[in-house]
This record gives sequence, C-alpha cells and structure tokens, in this order.
Amino acid sequence: MEKILEISNLRIYYYLPQGVVRAVDGVSFDVYKGEILGIAGESGSGKSTLALAISGLLRPPAKVVSGKIIFMGRDLLSMDSEELRKIRGKEISMIFQDPSTYLNPVYTSGFQVAEVFEAHRGGHAKKYLGEVVKLFRMVKIADPERRVEAYPHQMSGGMKQRVLISMAIAEKPKLIVADEPTSALDVTIQAEIVDLLNEIRKETGSSIIFITHDLALLLEIADRIMIMYAGKVAEIGRAEEIAKDPLHPYTKALLASLRYERKKRLQSIPGSIPSLIDPPPGCRFHPRCQYAMDVCSKRDPGLINMGGRIVSCFLYGGDVEGDTKR
Amino acid sequence: MSLARYVAKRVAQAIPTLLGAMLVMFILVRILPGDPARLIAGPEALEQDVERIREQLGLNKPLYVQFIDYISSILRGDFGTSIKYRTPVTQEIMARLPYTLALAAAAEAIAVAVAIPLGILSALKPRSKLSYAVSVASLVGASTPVFWIGLIFIYIFAVSLRVLPSSGAESPKHIVLPAITLALLLMGNLTRITRASVMEALGSNHVLTAMSKGLVQGTILMRHVLRNAMIPIVTIMGIQVGALLGGAVITETVFAWPGIGSLLVDSLFYRDYPLAQGIILFIVIVFIAINIAIDVLYAYIDPRVREILWRGGRS
Amino acid sequence: MERREILKRIYEARKKRRQEMWEALKANRAAYASLYIVAFLTFIAIFGPLITPYNPYDFDLSRARMPPSLAHIFGTDELGRDILSRILAGARYTIGISIASVVLGVLIGVILGLLSGYLAGLWDTIIQRIVDVMLAFPTILLAIALVASLGQGVASLIIAIAISTFPVYARLVRGVVLQVIGEDYIAAAKLLGKSSAYIMFKHVLPNTISAIVVQATYYMGLSILLASALGFLGLGVPPPTPEWGSMIGSGRTYLFSSPHIVVFPGLFIMMAALSFNLLGDGLRDALDPKARALLRRG
Repeated sequence: MEKILEISNLRIYYYLPQGVVRAVDGVSFDVYKGEILGIAGESGSGKSTLALAISGLLRPPAKVVSGKIIFMGRDLLSMDSEELRKIRGKEISMIFQDPSTYLNPVYTSGFQVAEVFEAHRGGHAKKYLGEVVKLFRMVKIADPERRVEAYPHQMSGGMKQRVLISMAIAEKPKLIVADEPTSALDVTIQAEIVDLLNEIRKETGSSIIFITHDLALLLEIADRIMIMYAGKVAEIGRAEEIAKDPLHPYTKALLASLRYERKKRLQSIPGSIPSLIDPPPGCRFHPRCQYAMDVCSKRDPGLINMGGRIVSCFLYGGDVEGDTKR
Repeated sequence: MSLARYVAKRVAQAIPTLLGAMLVMFILVRILPGDPARLIAGPEALEQDVERIREQLGLNKPLYVQFIDYISSILRGDFGTSIKYRTPVTQEIMARLPYTLALAAAAEAIAVAVAIPLGILSALKPRSKLSYAVSVASLVGASTPVFWIGLIFIYIFAVSLRVLPSSGAESPKHIVLPAITLALLLMGNLTRITRASVMEALGSNHVLTAMSKGLVQGTILMRHVLRNAMIPIVTIMGIQVGALLGGAVITETVFAWPGIGSLLVDSLFYRDYPLAQGIILFIVIVFIAINIAIDVLYAYIDPRVREILWRGGRS
Repeated sequence: MERREILKRIYEARKKRRQEMWEALKANRAAYASLYIVAFLTFIAIFGPLITPYNPYDFDLSRARMPPSLAHIFGTDELGRDILSRILAGARYTIGISIASVVLGVLIGVILGLLSGYLAGLWDTIIQRIVDVMLAFPTILLAIALVASLGQGVASLIIAIAISTFPVYARLVRGVVLQVIGEDYIAAAKLLGKSSAYIMFKHVLPNTISAIVVQATYYMGLSILLASALGFLGLGVPPPTPEWGSMIGSGRTYLFSSPHIVVFPGLFIMMAALSFNLLGDGLRDALDPKARALLRRG
C-alpha cells in the first residue's frame, strides 16, 4: 500500500520557563493511503502536539528538535513557510476539537469555509459560496443555502463541527488530521460525525489521522491504531488485532478499563503520567507497570517490530543487554 | 432586531439617566451659597428689583415645580441666561462649541494614529525593545498631569524654541500643542488596551483554524486578528470620550483655547452659575449621546451582540 | 485527625500563600521600587511640615522668583516662598486628600455594591440607576460641579472625588456578588441559618478584596491627578495652602520667566501618580493566582 506520511524519530520539545517539556520524544509511524489511523492516548501523551506538527502549525515555545516528517515523499520540516502554506488546507487539513472557539464568531460559517478556496484558488472568498453550499450538502447540513449565511453562534455544536469538516475536505486533501473531533459533542452526535468521516474516507480516498482519548471509539472506526504514552509510542497495529491481543501492558490496562462491565468493577490504572520535564529513565510506563523488570527502569525499549505489530516493551525483546537507540 | 429599533431602545433607556443627571445639577445649584436673584441683580440693586427678579426666575415656587420648569426649559433648548454676558447660555455654548469640537477631534485623531499602530506592533513583537518602550511610555503618560505637561510644552515650544504659539486660536498652528497635550491623556490607556486586545486575538483558536486553511499571513492578520481585536478597542475608545471631554476643560484653560471648557472654568471664576450649569449639562447630554452611538456601533460590529438584542436581553 | 492539627495546616497554608504573594510582588522590581517611593511620600505627607528648611508661608517679595540655587534647592515662587518647603508641606494635601477620597469612595462603593447585588430587586434597580447617573458625567466634570457647589476646602475635595469615583467600586463589587451568589456554598450557608449580613461579610466580601485593592491603587493615581487638577483650576484648597496643583496654578503666570515654579511641583505629582500606578500593576500581578502559579513552578 502506498505510504503518504512517514514520521521517523520525531522529537518535539516545549521550552518553558519551568523547564524543557519533552512532549513528543522519539515517535515513528507511517500512514497509508486511504486508511484511518487512530491515535489514542491520555491528555499529556503528546498527540495534539503531533497533530499540529504534521500541519506545520507549531508555534513557539514548541520546537521540532529532531526527526523527519515526510509527506508524499517531501520533507515537511525543510520547507519554507510559503510551501507549507500551500500544503495546508489543500493537501493536509485539520479538524479541531471545539468548534465554538475554532470558528471566528464575527464571520458567517459559509464565508469561513469559502476562505479555503480563496487561499488556494485566488480571488475573494465571496465568490466561492456556491461551492460551499455543495460542501454543506455533502456533510449533511440541512438547509445549506440558509446555513451558509448563518453565524457560528446560531448553530448547534454538531452542525458547527460539520462546518469544520467541510472546511477540511473542501480541497480534497490527501491527509486529514482530526484532533479530538468528537470530544466536545453529545454521544449521539458523535456517532453521526464518525460515520460521516468514514463515508468521506471511502468516497474521496483521503487518509484520516483520528486522534482521541477514547480508545473504544477507535476500535470501531480505525483501520490501524497507535497508542501513545507520555510522548512515546507504546504500540501500533491493526485495530482487530489490538482488540483481540494487546501486547503492551499499557494497552492491556486501557482495554481492561473498557471492559469493566464483565468484571463488574472499574479497573483504573494506578499512578499517574510522569512529568514530561524530567521523565524517569528507561521505559516511561514502568512505574505503573505490573510486569516491570529490572531493565525497564534503566533503558528505553525502543520500537520492536513483530510482523505487522510494533511494540515498545522489553517483554517482547528489545536490547536487554547493550545500548538501545533512544 | 433592526438597528433602528435598537437605537430607539437605547435612547429610551437613556432618558431616566438624563433626568437623573438634570436632577443632580438642579440639586447642586440649589446647594450653592448666595442668592441667585441678588447675584443677577447686582450689588447696587434695590430690594424690589431683587424681588422682581426672584419672581421672574420662579424662585418662589415650590421645589418640584421649579424642577419641572427646569426640565421643560431644557427640552425647549433654553439652558438659562448668563449673568456675565446677559445672553442665553445656548448662544454662548454654540459660539464656542466648534473650537472644542475641533480640539477634541484633532486630539482623538492623533491619539488613534499613534496609539493603535504602536499597540499592534508591540503585540506582534511582545519581547522587543519597542514593546518595552511602549509599556514604559504609556505608564508614564498615564501618570502625567495634563495641565502640567501642557505648560511644559508651552515653555519648550513657545518660549524656548519659539516654533509654536502658546495660546489662543488664531491660526492652524495654534491647535498643535493643545491637541498633542490632550492626545497624550488618551494615548497611554489606548496603547495598552490595543496591545492586550491584539495579543489575545493572536492566541485565539480561530486563528489556528485560519492558519490550517492555508490563508496568507496578511489575510489572517487583517480578517481574524485585527477585526476581532477591534471590539474591545472600540469599547475603550467610547469610554475614553469622557476623559476627552474632561481633559478638554483643562487643556483649553492651559492654552486659552476659546472652547466651552475654558468658558466653563471662567464662568466658575466669575460665579456665573447659570452658564456653568448649562455647560455641564450640555456636555453630559453630548456624552450620553456618544455612549448610545458607541453601543450601536458595537452591535453593528459584533454579530453576537445583535443576537442578544434579538432575544431582548439586556446587554 | 485532631482539630488542632487541621487548624495548624490551614494556618500554614494561608501563611504560605501570603508569602507567595509577597514574593510575586518582589519579583516585579518596578513595583517593589514603587513601594519604597510610596513609603517615602507617606513619610513626607505626615512629617513634611516639620522638616521644611524654611517656613512655607513666609513670603518675601524681594526674594521672589529666584531660580534654583544652593540656598533654595527648588528656587522660590512668585511671592518669595521656598518651593522645596512648600512641596514638603503640601504633600499632606495631595496625598492625604487622595487617600481619604479613595477610602471614602471604596467604603461607599462597597456598601452600595453589596446591597445592590445581594438584596437585588428594587434596591438593586435604585442603586444601579444612581450609579448610571453618576457615570453619565465625565469624572472631572462631576468633581468640578461638586466642588463648585460644596465650596472650597479639603472636606469638599475629598467628598467630591469620592462621589465621582465610587460608581466603579459599586459596579465591581456588585459583579462579584452576583457571581458568588450562585455558588453552592452560599446556599449551604443559608440552609445552615446564617444571616444575610454574616454571609455578605464572611463569604462575599473576601472575594472582592483583591479586585478592590487593585482598583483602589489605580484610583489613587487618578485621585492624585484629579485633586491637583482641581487645585490648578483654583477649585481646591484656598491659598496660601501649598497644595501642589494650586502651586502650579498660581505659578503659571510667570511660566515664561520662572518655569521652575511650575516644574517642581509637577514632578512630584507625576512621581506620586507613577508610583501608585506601578504599585497597582505589581499588586494585580501578585494577586492573580495564575501568575503566582507560574512563579511557583519556576
């Protein structure tokens, strides 16, 4: 299958007065054409930072320290701002979490979507309003001709999110990065939005990176899933396989906390995420891991390739003796 | 709700406030020591003359009747008669109003032309030397007495350098120093608010969305940052009109600028209370009117406010 | 846990918070410096008349309008009085009037704000209307009108400035009250049978204090400028009292020949207003919990 995005050994740090926060610390993965890659992780796992980095939207004090982001064979990190601008919105687009704050209250929603066309086809946004009506229809916004003239505050949460989605698919991008697109919505609306994204993927062949803290959601919609913990990759694999046979202890714990109805008890994971300013040496998860071995507190396991699956855990190999590529 | 209805609504809301202000002026004048009838009549007058004037002014009627008379005469445009000039107060005000308007307009124009660009620039480059200098300058500006800096300016430019005139209003050059002095009063606060407001707009989420669409920097700045930042800035400009009017009183006095501000101070000095009271009330009415205009403008530029009005809520 | 243990921990937590606020204030060097200046000004406000090199009222026309010299550090004014002495003696008027009017303004504003927000209904409407009317006047204009009616003198100045400025505090306090009233602990207190006055003082008032302190410090700066402006216009304390604003007002006629009469009192007015404004900035940063948290982690 064709690879559209390759991330290798990406490190993104935030330089704050209290210290250097290692938000993304050596993450590598690929995205294939037409797939939905789910990225799951708690808050603080680095997933949102990753999303911004792919779109070239990182702002100081965040900085890409090392690594590569290769999109369709081009190195995004070496591009200047104008080249990146041409890619944003047209080949890589983003859907954000909270449509109320991510839409400008002073302009109509139709105008804001039309701006995507203005950015890449020239002219003034106003002349593309007809296209926007078609887009609205595609994302199933009722009465699109009227809605195009409506202001964001006149729309419901679900409708606003559809507006953001229509913005993201306007120029038929190869990659859509959706950062928690359903987290601010009611559960029923969530299902509709998720179905909508799936349909879009099938019709347009775009790949979608779907970022969320809700692993259960990903098990439904994603083709492959990447689990992140404290700025590092824990596990990557096909959704069905991870659901049936989780490898990483963190993944196992996450799944266990989902299946509490069977055990009739809420399973939570004891402990909390480590500080990203001064992470513990070795595997980031080891303080909370029930399988922790001696080596886990000394060295990072790195990424171990087990057929289709990638895990970062000494249980499955890794350089137990010598030096590991950190 | 249409704009016209909103205007009508705001005006209706302002009426009790206006009546209250008139009541305050009415009370203040009654507190004044001395007998207004005697003041008008002069020290030489006979007792029956004073009595006649008292009758004319309606001073023998009960207070609430006097107040109603007062309101009705204001509504007719009669603000009383000046003791010193023996002409209607309205006439004196109208004669000198253009000067005050010119000064106020010039000062506001200078303040906006300087403060807003400076504020925007220092928001775009928050840790630069410019930003720091602007912060210091606006703090110092806000702590400087207007009357004092005006006098200093007079000394530097009129006395030492002799490039600008020190008082009066004969030529266009005469407006320069007073306008700059008055503008200084406004600039400090305006710069600070502009900077804060632009910085807040820069950090807002919809700017991130705009960037993710691939819009050009310039478009993002104009459409998504400045347009949104303007809302609090316009609010402050409206609030500042009060300081502008009050500051004009002082500035006109310092520079002997023939507007209604210096007329007010003179009238107090000469104990021409009808004139003083009339000018103050006039300024209050203008201030209320400007506040209504600012509110209407606010509703025009922020669609959310229009929505609140639609539902009939109090904003 | 023992009751004493709990109380001790609460006491220590409170002490720690006060220390943090103090640290935050000190971190802002400009604000810290302004604290010293404010202390200095308070000192000369209280002891000024005792430390004057010359009698501030002693005039001698033969020594009139002398420029600064070793004998008279700031020179002499139009009546031959030593300007430094007049500035020292006059500090108490400018500073004292400002402090008094701010205190009075805060008192009136807080009481009205509390009543307005808490009692609501008719009281709220009446008080809000009064506040609206007050705010319809530009501040200086209201102060001028009040001083003109009440006559000259320190008392009328204080009352005039207090009345011109209380609406801001009233609005502020009312806003906080309305916000706090919806909180659950107020309902809980009411259920426990606490009286309205108790709730107002114990729960609502503390929440307003930091906002009021910051606002009041800024208004000190404003009051200083307002009081001296009124003095300049001849509406303040009557001569020969050495109030800084009126010194500038009477010295104005001789601006061309003897600018020093105007310059020095103005510099002091500026210094006073500046230090209070800086203090206000520093206090606002120190009292802002977010700013303190940032410093804590640093």
